[in-house]
Amino acid sequence: MANHMLTTTDVVGGYGSVQILNGVSLSVERGKIVALLGGNGTGKSTMLKALSGLIKPWSGEIHFDGERINGMRPDLIVRRGLVQVTQGKEAYPGMTVEENLLLGAHTRPERAARARGLERSYTYFPILKERRKQLTGTLSGGQLQMLCVARGLMSEPKMMLLDEPSAALAPQVVLDIFRAVARICRDGMTLLLVEQNVRMALLLADYGYVIKDGVIHIEGPAESLINDDAVRLSYLGGTVADRDQKLSM
Amino acid sequence: MSYFIDLVIVGLSIGMIYGLVAIGISLIYSGLDVVHFAHGEIYMLGAFIGLWVFNTFKLPFPLVLLSSMIITGLIGVVIERVFYRPILKSGGGYTVAGMAMVICGFGMAFVLQNIAFLIWGPRSLPFPVTFGMPIEIGNLTLPSSYVWIVAAALVLMTSLHLFLKKTRLGLAVRAVAGNKEIAYLMGINVPLTISVTFGVACALGAAAGVLVGPINYVHVLMGLGILVKAFAAAVIGGFGSLPGAVLGGLLVGVVESLGAGYLSGNYKDIYAFILLIIVLMVRPAGFFGVLAKTKA
Repeated sequence: MANHMLTTTDVVGGYGSVQILNGVSLSVERGKIVALLGGNGTGKSTMLKALSGLIKPWSGEIHFDGERINGMRPDLIVRRGLVQVTQGKEAYPGMTVEENLLLGAHTRPERAARARGLERSYTYFPILKERRKQLTGTLSGGQLQMLCVARGLMSEPKMMLLDEPSAALAPQVVLDIFRAVARICRDGMTLLLVEQNVRMALLLADYGYVIKDGVIHIEGPAESLINDDAVRLSYLGGTVADRDQKLSM
Repeated sequence: MSYFIDLVIVGLSIGMIYGLVAIGISLIYSGLDVVHFAHGEIYMLGAFIGLWVFNTFKLPFPLVLLSSMIITGLIGVVIERVFYRPILKSGGGYTVAGMAMVICGFGMAFVLQNIAFLIWGPRSLPFPVTFGMPIEIGNLTLPSSYVWIVAAALVLMTSLHLFLKKTRLGLAVRAVAGNKEIAYLMGINVPLTISVTFGVACALGAAAGVLVGPINYVHVLMGLGILVKAFAAAVIGGFGSLPGAVLGGLLVGVVESLGAGYLSGNYKDIYAFILLIIVLMVRPAGFFGVLAKTKA
């Protein structure tokens, strides 16, 4: 288990008395990109909330980097190096781009770390540097998503949880964002990618889990999932994705 | 003409007081999503604590102001932690406070009034601080207490602005006001930040109480009047907006002062609300009305 950054065992949880997660077990290896796939209402977002601490799991275990984190307050989980990257629409519209980024570095009071974080964000997403004094509300959807990924990087996490980075974006923009994410991961980030856009996610990921009705339905290496009949039928519409062509960069 | 200018100056300085209290109400509204009905009593408490510090330790006025702000701010934090937070939590987090919080705020106002009554009694107490000679500009004589109010309020508002814009904690306060879940995901300690927000709001209310002391008397019921005026100010400016609260406060102060000077002093309290009605007819969201989720 030493090589596992994040492991969950039989996580059960939900909201109020409504049970959504019926025992989710998954694990993410250090330095790998793992996709958690599923449609609307399958429990993806709830699982994400359980991982980032926004809801407390009713039972089961969540271990991150050798430490049990289930039931921990969200800000303490961030301090341990597990950061959820929100969807683009969840940037603060009333703040400037730079203020949003600095907010991501809340757990890093040192001036040097904040400057380093900004530098790093602007390297991955140069457009944010141009827009840094603008109000976030004036950005496009793709730029907002970039801002949120960059904001997640600001706390210098060990692992990021990406919440549907492709939501409501044009395919070309999604590709741009996925390229940047791939670069971030090559530079040593571990990633759990929660996606509805199965084809895109499997192009990026090493391993995938398909969640349905609150349990892991299918799992396997990305290449085998992309050719898996069940996955293909339910999510890919029966076509085979051309893996090499799409992500050549 | 000089009569008019006198009235405007008096109005502006009183308006600064309203503005400070209104800022507190707006801060609490945006940070905790509740309307704090005991904020007038926080102002009253601040005035009494300032008076107590002044009489006991004979400190210079700026230090009296500062210590009252700190003490009242801490009392505010305790009130929020002990009485308000359990109610807010039982309403399903900090966003759904509902009626219980409104009633609890009113109840807290009565409790604080009665505590103040037990400690300081029913009499109006003078705040015998002397600010020195009136300041003369041309043929205009300004009582220095008014100059003090305006200067101190401006310093406080500027500090608050810099705190919210330039510091890490200030940014966190704005983030929590905008959206608590996302603030959590940024690694912000949301419960602590809410306490800070509440404490700062109470400290500003206390400052207003201490500043108004030397030109008015300090009295147990002084919080009643200010609450409605500050509410009018906050609504006129656009509820939840801090620049709006200041602008609203100044408008209420000046209109009230001019009305009292030219029409009749007997109906002084009406003018603020006439202004409020007119503003709401023309701009229902107030001057700086913000959409609920673009605040912060």
